[in-house]
Amino acid sequence: MDSIVILFISGLIGLFAGMQKKPLLSIIIASLGLVSAGVAAYFKGSYISPLSSYEAYVPTQGLIIILLCTVTLLAILGGYKRYAADNEHTGDYLALILFSLCGAVLMAQPNDLMLFFIGLEILSIPIYVLVGIEKGSSRSAEAAVKYFFTGSFASAIILFGIALLYGATGSFQLIEIQSNLAIGIWQSPMAIIGSLFLLAGFIFKIGAVPFHFWGPDVYDGASNAVLMYMATVVKIAGIYALVNVFGQVFRDSYGFWIDLVSLIIVLSMFYGYITAWKQTSFRRLIAYSSIANAGLMIFALADTHNSNLFLFVAAYAFATIALVVINSIVNDDTDSLVNWEGIAWRHPLIGIALVISLFSLAGIPPFAGFFGKFSLLWSAVPHVPYTAILALIASVIGAFVYLRLMMSALKKPTVVVRSPLSFEQILVLTLTSLAAIGALYFI
Amino acid sequence: MALILLPLVFGIIAWFVPGNISRIFGLIASTVTLAWSIIAVSYFEPSEHLLVDFGLRFVRFSIDSLGFTMVLLTNSVFFLVFLSNFNTSIVHEKRFTALALLMQFGLLGLFTTNTILGFYIFWELTLLPIFLILYWFGAFDKPRALLQFFLYTLVGSLAMLLSIIGLMHLTNQQTYDALLAADIQSFGNTSIFLMGGFLLAFAVKIPLFPFHTWQAETYTKAPTAGTMLLSAIMLKMALFGLLKWVLPIFDGNATDFWRWPVITLGLVGIIYGAVIAIRQQNLKTLFAYASLSHLGLIAAALMLQNEHTNLISVVQIVNHSIVSIGLFLAAGIIEERLGTQQLDQLGGIAKVAPRFGFWFAVLTFVSLSVPFTAGFIGEFFLIKALFSAHTFTGILASTTLVLGAVYMLKAYQVPMFGPTKINSFQDLHWSELAVFAILSIAAIYLGLAPQCITDFVAHSLTQPTH
Repeated sequence: MDSIVILFISGLIGLFAGMQKKPLLSIIIASLGLVSAGVAAYFKGSYISPLSSYEAYVPTQGLIIILLCTVTLLAILGGYKRYAADNEHTGDYLALILFSLCGAVLMAQPNDLMLFFIGLEILSIPIYVLVGIEKGSSRSAEAAVKYFFTGSFASAIILFGIALLYGATGSFQLIEIQSNLAIGIWQSPMAIIGSLFLLAGFIFKIGAVPFHFWGPDVYDGASNAVLMYMATVVKIAGIYALVNVFGQVFRDSYGFWIDLVSLIIVLSMFYGYITAWKQTSFRRLIAYSSIANAGLMIFALADTHNSNLFLFVAAYAFATIALVVINSIVNDDTDSLVNWEGIAWRHPLIGIALVISLFSLAGIPPFAGFFGKFSLLWSAVPHVPYTAILALIASVIGAFVYLRLMMSALKKPTVVVRSPLSFEQILVLTLTSLAAIGALYFI
Repeated sequence: MALILLPLVFGIIAWFVPGNISRIFGLIASTVTLAWSIIAVSYFEPSEHLLVDFGLRFVRFSIDSLGFTMVLLTNSVFFLVFLSNFNTSIVHEKRFTALALLMQFGLLGLFTTNTILGFYIFWELTLLPIFLILYWFGAFDKPRALLQFFLYTLVGSLAMLLSIIGLMHLTNQQTYDALLAADIQSFGNTSIFLMGGFLLAFAVKIPLFPFHTWQAETYTKAPTAGTMLLSAIMLKMALFGLLKWVLPIFDGNATDFWRWPVITLGLVGIIYGAVIAIRQQNLKTLFAYASLSHLGLIAAALMLQNEHTNLISVVQIVNHSIVSIGLFLAAGIIEERLGTQQLDQLGGIAKVAPRFGFWFAVLTFVSLSVPFTAGFIGEFFLIKALFSAHTFTGILASTTLVLGAVYMLKAYQVPMFGPTKINSFQDLHWSELAVFAILSIAAIYLGLAPQCITDFVAHSLTQPTH
């Protein structure tokens, strides 16, 4: 609870400090807010919080809040160059991100569907604004409109699902819904349809097949800086909410939806990776790769008691941020994979971070992505063995997408162009690389 | 602990070493690791295990005498690779030095790890360096051939990953000793599938017959140093995995099920590889198919799971490393000095470069397994074992001796004594001479006294398995 308040207040302060038109001031305020929110989450429960009576309303675990804050911190640092270029609005950008993060923390591990829905909207609405914040660009405007319409559609579906569930069980509280469903109500058509609507809305939000179509267009239209936040935090919050709601509430109807979920996993992975193979634009490639990764994340549903999701989402988020930061160095306005040729030769750190991130995304040891994938599959294999086999086949295709990107980036150019990195870019690339290697010690 | 970590430390330092001394750095680093392993082995009691623990849950190390043999082999191979390439352009690149040392770390980890997941991690860890070496320094016109190599390896290793997850779930164990003690037989057909996953990964790496298509092109287009690393040590990962991990652990119905399929593929590989090799015009491609033929024999013999055959196959593994370093070095020397490897453009080298002619001949004879070389001991006993399994398999396997003579003599005779087609040929550099001499001495010593390996390895291979 303290974390949300800290985030919100630092967002507000940042909003007013932004009037000074000093980008450095804004980023320092935002970073301090994120760090102290993370610290508050770490010490959650070990001190007497003035807000302790509200703790029950936001049960999101400290670890997940820390992950969300860290990822956001990396995202704003990585995108700082872009934000600072527009010093009129730096404060607005950062404040919007912090407000949106409040929503993410609120919804990640809900215990009440109403509060979860409010969190979801708090998360989404600032992002609609962020996507469209470049007023001059028609692509950005198109992406924002698309995202807004599809996003509100998804919200409506989720709301409808919640309403049906309320009708079937008479409660918004997850525990009560679960105990009501457990006595057999889950077989009633209303509860089943409600759960399907809820599932559809979640799939929409995290962008897995068959509700993935907004992803590539929106990712393409957003700037690199916004993409860093959007492709990571939204997904993490969404998948945690999905795993929590389904793992808790619909535990008894597991046999009913697991086949459907398996289908979603397999389709997302194959569709995402195969389509990514043909892309010529980096942000679209990342969008398709994130569709496939969303499929992998849903594996956490296979084992409702022990979902080893954390390492995988962290690895995915760190690797994606590192890649988008690298992309922003060559592709700030354009967005073409051709520019990636020989990019690793511009700076040693780019090369190292790039190889590590791509191998981590491809799930090749000893990087974090492998351990994430391993622990996901580890709990999923006994429940859905065939889905796991198909997922591994799809990962081979995925590995090729990343490998081809790596080969183009590592190709030695005839003239080596050096591009200096700014301090915060060095910081982000170093931290993400270290995190990808260091995961070895946390499994 | 330093035994495993030294190459990693050197590999990281190598990135910061200036390019002009990187070849000396590589040589020094590999000498130090080799010396360290020799010292370690002299203090090592062969009947015991050396435990190394970094505090990781899934990766622990335990070095037995087989592991030590492979560690020594790895370190020697890297030393020889750095030494033999001392005069070529590739070692002037610090990227090569660093990646090779990183790969050495992966291999050492693989040969010494004690946990099944550690085996997988190190198996994959070697992939990144070799891929980058091939990509940066190879002559691949299009990425297709390289991607094919990667695709095959990756499909194989993901199948292995599934098997590992399955194995760890079913037995609830992860260390080597615990897996040996577990009752895998009771899983019935599941154990056959699990072993199949491992075998797929190994069949790609060794390579066995239908999975070999990546090999020829990769070997031909790779830089000589990369080819040496691939054939002298990377393929041995799979044989080591078969010998130490898979066959003892899956002892029982799974091995019985897979025995004859693998032996058949091995035999097909022996004959097919040799026949194709006879028809090759490109020297490196010829040696690549020869390698397919030789390794098919080892893989087939390993499947018999005869204690004595296992010991001999370790000798043959070492011998194959010696032969492949020597032959690919010879091919690399010819390619570097003349710019071609096509047999029809070569001829009469021995007249211009007598020293090269002599040492290449020695290596050719080692490869032909004439008596008093390690190859003789290896091939003779492996074929004998295949004979005792079935007369027919023995006959098929022994064709390797005849066919091997045909392609090896062709590969030696045409460029060396054929009609003179070259103008000048710079004779051997001292570093290349040293490598040839070391290899020949090692091959002859092992041919005379193979028990120095078999007795040492026997401590870890003849333990009661169940």
